[in-house]
Amino acid sequence: MTAATSNAPSREEQVKALQKREARRRRLPLLPALIFTILITQIPFVMSLYYSFTDWTVTPPSPRTWTGISNYTDAFTNSFFREAAVTSIVMTVSSVLLSVILGTGVALLLDRKFFGQGFVRTLIITPFLVMPVVAGLVWKNQMFSAAFGVINWLLEAVGLEAVEFASKYPRWSIVAVLVWQWTPFMMLIILAGLQGQPASVLEAAKVDGATPRATFFQITLPHLRPYLELGVLLGSIYLIQVFDHIVVMTGGGPGSTNVPYFVNQRSIGGGWRFGSASAFSILVVIATIFIATFGLRVLSGLLEGEEP
Amino acid sequence: MSGSNTGPVVGERKLGGYLLSALAWFVGFLFFFPVFWMVLSGFKTEADANGPPKLFFEPTTEQFAEVTNDTTGLLSAGEAFSNSFWAVAISTVLVMLLAIPAAYALSIKPVDKWRDVLFFFISTKFLPIVAAILPLWIIARELNLLNTRLILIILYTAMNLPLAVWMLRSFFSEVPRELIEAAQIDGTNLRGQITSVILPIVAPGLAATALLCVIFAWNEFFLAVQLNPIEGSTVPIWVTGNVSTRGNFLAKLSAASTLATLPVIIAGWLAQKRMIRGLAMGAIK
Amino acid sequence: MSVTKRANRQWLVLLSILAVFGLLAAACGSDDAADTATDDDTSTSTDDDTSTDDDAMADGETKTIRVAAVANGNVERMAELAPEYFTPESGIEVEFTILDEGTLREVTTRDVAAEGEQFDVVMIGMYETPQFGANGWLTGLNDLAAASDTYDIDDLIPAVRGGLSVDGELYSSPFYAESSFVMYRADVMEENGITMPDAPTWQEVADIARQIDSDEMAGICLRGKPGWGDLGAAFTTVLNTFGGTWWSANDDGSIGTSQVDQPEFAEALNFYVDLLNDAGEDDAANSSFNECKTLYEEGKVAMWYDATVAASLFPEDVVANTAFALAPTNLTEGSGWLWAWTLAIPTTAADPEAGFEFIDWATNAEYHELIADLDGWRAVPPGTRQSLYERPEYLDAAEAFAQRTLDAMLAAPIDNPGTTPRPGLPGVQYVGVPEFQDTGNRCTEQFSAAIAGSISVDEALEACHAIASEYNG
Repeated sequence: MTAATSNAPSREEQVKALQKREARRRRLPLLPALIFTILITQIPFVMSLYYSFTDWTVTPPSPRTWTGISNYTDAFTNSFFREAAVTSIVMTVSSVLLSVILGTGVALLLDRKFFGQGFVRTLIITPFLVMPVVAGLVWKNQMFSAAFGVINWLLEAVGLEAVEFASKYPRWSIVAVLVWQWTPFMMLIILAGLQGQPASVLEAAKVDGATPRATFFQITLPHLRPYLELGVLLGSIYLIQVFDHIVVMTGGGPGSTNVPYFVNQRSIGGGWRFGSASAFSILVVIATIFIATFGLRVLSGLLEGEEP
Repeated sequence: MSGSNTGPVVGERKLGGYLLSALAWFVGFLFFFPVFWMVLSGFKTEADANGPPKLFFEPTTEQFAEVTNDTTGLLSAGEAFSNSFWAVAISTVLVMLLAIPAAYALSIKPVDKWRDVLFFFISTKFLPIVAAILPLWIIARELNLLNTRLILIILYTAMNLPLAVWMLRSFFSEVPRELIEAAQIDGTNLRGQITSVILPIVAPGLAATALLCVIFAWNEFFLAVQLNPIEGSTVPIWVTGNVSTRGNFLAKLSAASTLATLPVIIAGWLAQKRMIRGLAMGAIK
Repeated sequence: MSVTKRANRQWLVLLSILAVFGLLAAACGSDDAADTATDDDTSTSTDDDTSTDDDAMADGETKTIRVAAVANGNVERMAELAPEYFTPESGIEVEFTILDEGTLREVTTRDVAAEGEQFDVVMIGMYETPQFGANGWLTGLNDLAAASDTYDIDDLIPAVRGGLSVDGELYSSPFYAESSFVMYRADVMEENGITMPDAPTWQEVADIARQIDSDEMAGICLRGKPGWGDLGAAFTTVLNTFGGTWWSANDDGSIGTSQVDQPEFAEALNFYVDLLNDAGEDDAANSSFNECKTLYEEGKVAMWYDATVAASLFPEDVVANTAFALAPTNLTEGSGWLWAWTLAIPTTAADPEAGFEFIDWATNAEYHELIADLDGWRAVPPGTRQSLYERPEYLDAAEAFAQRTLDAMLAAPIDNPGTTPRPGLPGVQYVGVPEFQDTGNRCTEQFSAAIAGSISVDEALEACHAIASEYNG
């Protein structure tokens, strides 16, 4: 009896030990990246968490006393934060969608053989490579400006009134620049998808007499889905953090203050209320994780893959 | 599209093709125009740049001379470019060194809960960097890392690592299992598997990922200006150093911006084909 | 099994390589930090070939100080001259970090407040100096100034010195200072048969602006770009003289409650926005000093209300057509602002004497002569020293605006800019409390949107009242 009971677990233990060793062996290559990321990103996060429960202000200097959740209750009632959240969502969603749509269009144009194909593609990817600060300044001062802007100069040349884009339509001016910068990126991803399309399928569709429209919607688009999803995911991650563009183009304000700008303004951008600013950033992280968990489930293709 | 829709009229189809090509060229110029205008403004005098748009003017290289002119004590173009180069190059190499094994552990021989791990990597991009800047600054101050290249290298690595892990994981999933298993049976060790089987297959993907890391790190402004405004300052700080609150700066800024974007633009132009192939690989799984 | 074992070892090797790399990098990093902490110059050792680090250490000759300063012409000129005219005499090398105004504030405030010890000398404004001084973040300059043969603290213009002192202790030294006044095209006024009063009221200025305004030439250029130092400065001078203010003051001088909902505030903002809409420059919501200066120089506006320093930056032909009037008023006697960019030494600086040696060089009367020799008297950073306004050469070269600038600065009502008690004095175009920075920035974003017409003035006022009320005492 005793022997049997002690024997059985030991075999199980052996299996378990093997499994454990296997798991550890699999984990090992992951560890450097994981540990590095945890160290660099989670220490600041924990510090922010701590500050968010204090009333720390830099100027006037405060003793940094523990205030419990009062920063959070304040945050929930802050109408300016709500406005910034709306701006963030509208700005991110519209610039991601517009650049994906435009990117698809441009990719379709570039997926045909024509004279100068490579050159035109080269021209189009350039905006993605420009520094955000520079992109904002160039658009604001040289494209949108009512006095010296090329766009207004053209408008006036055809007899229209000049429009003060950046100040009249701050949100959409920023979206325009973001779309200008991110369409090339989306175009690259989608072009990759188009070129990965099996020629035989397209050929077959042609032989069957399918219209180009039908071919596009029934064959190309479903094939492009994972590429579009990758574009949406990467675009969203970067575009929700947009900050430099806003600083140089509008300097914030109704319609253009998004969440990062709001948080910055509350901390080093003049507010110097680090306790409160930290509470806002913690809320942002929680909200983003929530949205992203939901979003990634929708973008099913990206996390699919066989389990070990 | 509608032209070829109506029927097999050859001339019409050809015309439609020309129109589409012309449209592609037009779109290309439209997208490039602001960059072209920036470059052009770099060759103007401040008076020309700060006036109604001028396509024809007397070009001058005066602004380029001025922005690259070294003044002792001020961040020079040479310093900024060399600082940027090292920060970007080292951080990108580090990202790759860390991300390749991690991607292996998330795709080819996945750890338990690899989805959660992947999600964790991506989730680190959710904390607004503007919100993390103060803790980062305090840590940097405590470790005596303010105004060093090292702090930028570390942070750029952390900034690009999630992207690299994500992309490389999907590239690695593309590698046919049989090849890896065959290599294992031959007794090839892990490094051997990676270097002789996996990497050759995913090379375009690696190039695409590295290029994205380079672009994001080269253009990074916020961390650089907050943590490293003095020594080891990078190119974006040098560029914005030409923005004056009292005096015109558009021509000077354009000249500096042109020089600053040149390296990534050339890299991007040269690598675009690889990038497309790389991305083609990555999205499928 | 052996495969996996070997694989394990491979990873261990890779990990240890990474670790070694990390350590190496860390070592290099802390070396850098140590170097800079001891004021030993790392850039000389890599860039210059004149002396090695060891030499410098042994002789104790070369020191390096680090200076953060704002990006504008006067400062950049100073940075250019320092290596040639300051370093050889003093043996102190100066490393400049030139930043735009907003970033400079972020970097310097954090550095002095949280003891970053990044800078030996920081350029701050008249807004920050009394606050930082009172917080104990800055080194008092009285003793250092007294020990210098060249500085002459009593030569500073009293209003400027007062604005930079707390309880008689000077906490920063002015590099240049300015008030505000109206610059206008004398030729255009003459053509239209208009006489601009020397000390106009806002109503008079507004009437003239509306009268002159045409398609080719706007009546007046006013700041409309968000920022407490941009639109905030110009608007607050208007607000003061219309009898409004941002906050009431408690008996102890602290912030009381927001006064943005008061009728005077609404009157001032309506006046400002209406004037810009009727007779202001194009795209006013995006304009500040730079934009207005360009428009004025190109003859696209007839009047411009802004900083007195503008006059010293005009080309000769523009000065010739320009006349100047005092800042317009309504209910108060004077309304011009007072501002200075100044150099200060954080208390954490390792070597305040070296820092002051540099400050002394950059802000004393001899520096004025140096600039005069090289660039002419008109280019001297104005507004800081009485001696400059006593020099016949300067009065001659800057005849058009020198006296006007001095008058405006002396007339700036820094101790009582409005009609009601207020916190944060002295201060004209700002409220000298830390809370004003945030309030001013966010409110002017609203006002700027009202100027652009994307929201109404009432909406802007309501939002601004909510913002200012966050800080009610």
